[in-house]
Amino acid sequence: MNDDNGAASGNWLPVAVVAAIALTMPFWFPLIGGYEGLDTKIMIWALFVIGFDLLLGYTGYLSFGHAGFFGVSAYTTGLMLLHVTSDIVPAMIVSVIVTVLLAFAIGFMTLRRTGIYFSILTLAFAEMLYRAALSIFSDFTGGDNGLTGLPTPTLLGEPMHGLKVFYLSAAFAIVGFYIARRITRSPFGMMMRAIKSNQERLRYTGVNVSGYKLFTFVISATYAAVAGSLMVIYEPYVATVFLHWSTSGEVVIMSVIGGVGTLFGPMFGAAFMLYFENVASAAIGEQWLLILGLIFVLVVVFLPGGFVEGWRRLRHARGGTARAADTDTENERAN
Amino acid sequence: MSGSTVNALFMQVLTGFQLGAIYMLIGLGLTLIFGTLGVVNFAHGALFMLGAYAAVTLAPQTGFALAILLVPLLLFAFGIVMERGLIRKFYDRPHTDQIMLTFGLALVIQEALKWIYGANSLPFPLPDWGNGIVRLHEYLPFLTGFVAYPKWRLILTVVSFATVIALFLLLQFTRFGLVVRAGMRDPEMLRFLGVNIQRRFAIVFGLGAAIAGVAGLFGGPVASVYPGLGMAYLVPSFLVVVIGGMGSLPGAVVAAILLGMALSFSAEYSAMQQVSVYLIAVVVLLLRPRGLLGQKGVLE
Repeated sequence: MNDDNGAASGNWLPVAVVAAIALTMPFWFPLIGGYEGLDTKIMIWALFVIGFDLLLGYTGYLSFGHAGFFGVSAYTTGLMLLHVTSDIVPAMIVSVIVTVLLAFAIGFMTLRRTGIYFSILTLAFAEMLYRAALSIFSDFTGGDNGLTGLPTPTLLGEPMHGLKVFYLSAAFAIVGFYIARRITRSPFGMMMRAIKSNQERLRYTGVNVSGYKLFTFVISATYAAVAGSLMVIYEPYVATVFLHWSTSGEVVIMSVIGGVGTLFGPMFGAAFMLYFENVASAAIGEQWLLILGLIFVLVVVFLPGGFVEGWRRLRHARGGTARAADTDTENERAN
Repeated sequence: MSGSTVNALFMQVLTGFQLGAIYMLIGLGLTLIFGTLGVVNFAHGALFMLGAYAAVTLAPQTGFALAILLVPLLLFAFGIVMERGLIRKFYDRPHTDQIMLTFGLALVIQEALKWIYGANSLPFPLPDWGNGIVRLHEYLPFLTGFVAYPKWRLILTVVSFATVIALFLLLQFTRFGLVVRAGMRDPEMLRFLGVNIQRRFAIVFGLGAAIAGVAGLFGGPVASVYPGLGMAYLVPSFLVVVIGGMGSLPGAVVAAILLGMALSFSAEYSAMQQVSVYLIAVVVLLLRPRGLLGQKGVLE
């Protein structure tokens, strides 16, 4: 119990740090070469990967289908803005509801088997949604062109663009980070880690493992849904790539490079990848993806804990063992 | 049945076999590797694509006949290097790490090919002996009137099924095949018996890669050769493996034929064609989660 209390009191510092970094971003980010709007994208993807990390880092399930949730939510938001109202509140609510229902259905079918099966099937379901959007639903989705001609989104009559979208996204990212930390430190989070380490044993103790897995999956999809919806608010346009497997792949890469199971790591990974894309593609063009792929493979082979693990090793090597161990209790608890 | 109905039905069935052929070869490699090494190879589509690119590059230099020999050998070597160099180190790591590694490799292969050859699809000239059409009504008496089929697609189908038969013969009637089949059943027991399964598993991986090479070589002209080819074929091939039952070779063949037929018979409703395959997978998954011919207990 003492440990839990300690964790709860230390709950605010990382959130405050993330909030401070995020909210001041429009001031310092352009100084290191980030274009206007890239900071908004970073916030949106950070939110996306936090949810992804709850599933991969804590529960141990590698989804290759999160593009499905991101994309379906994006399309729903797009359709709401186009046909119903340009106000973002109903658009976001409907998008999240639709995505949650979808996540229940997909989770029910994919989580019944092992992790390998899960990775393959989530990929297949997301690909099915992608194909469906381009074929049978092309009348609604605009087919290969994506959903274009959306009105400027509004919030209570205020048009949403520029800094307003940034602060909206940053607020969601910070709150999302806070909620995710609370989840991982709750008894529910304990169950998630127990599922990752040995779900057979957990089942024998009488725990409803499938229920916990399904619920984690849906929470994770909800993060993707909010992110997908924000993406369309940020740039009133729905690209088909939102549903494509490469979007799922990007979330995997961001999380792994940053360090799965740390929440902060994947957020950093998202920021790194988007920043790297911006800087590196200016220097070497399309080949930045090849470099990124190589970085990803190197991290998977040599540094399975990602940048967070690298940072910890660096501090250990410097002799700052005590402090490193102190601040990284969360990681150890995750492992 | 009238003559034209027989013709139409025959053509659709033939097209079904042809459409399923590439997925069958990729799916066989996937299930072979999964059954023996326990690794889901997300880079298998990339290996197939590598086969197609190798064929496009080699064929004009060496002639197509020599490319038929070289491409599978090249992929075999590539597979062995991949297994010995990287995948072997991941046998003790969690499955998610193995999937991430192979996914990363797929990405690297894809982007490297894009860098070298560009993002557009490459023309894949057929050899002279593969051009043109075959007048099927001259050989098959039950067909009426004029029934023709592209020669290369027929070659692709025949070669694919010949490859499958060769693989089954290899596994059924050689000592190597015996060990591999035993390894698929119970690798631990095999290790106790003092069999060096590590070396044989490297060969199995190479074999899977070589079959993907055959698929790329003969399937390349039918598909278009561009850097997205690998992932485009990987997902339906996964479905083949899941529908057939993970680790079941006959299951992969049956599922691939089923998938080809679904593609062929839903072609009239072109919008549905894209999705029909996934619907079959959903139905199989709900009714029989281990797959059509999957063994009890495997991934259940």
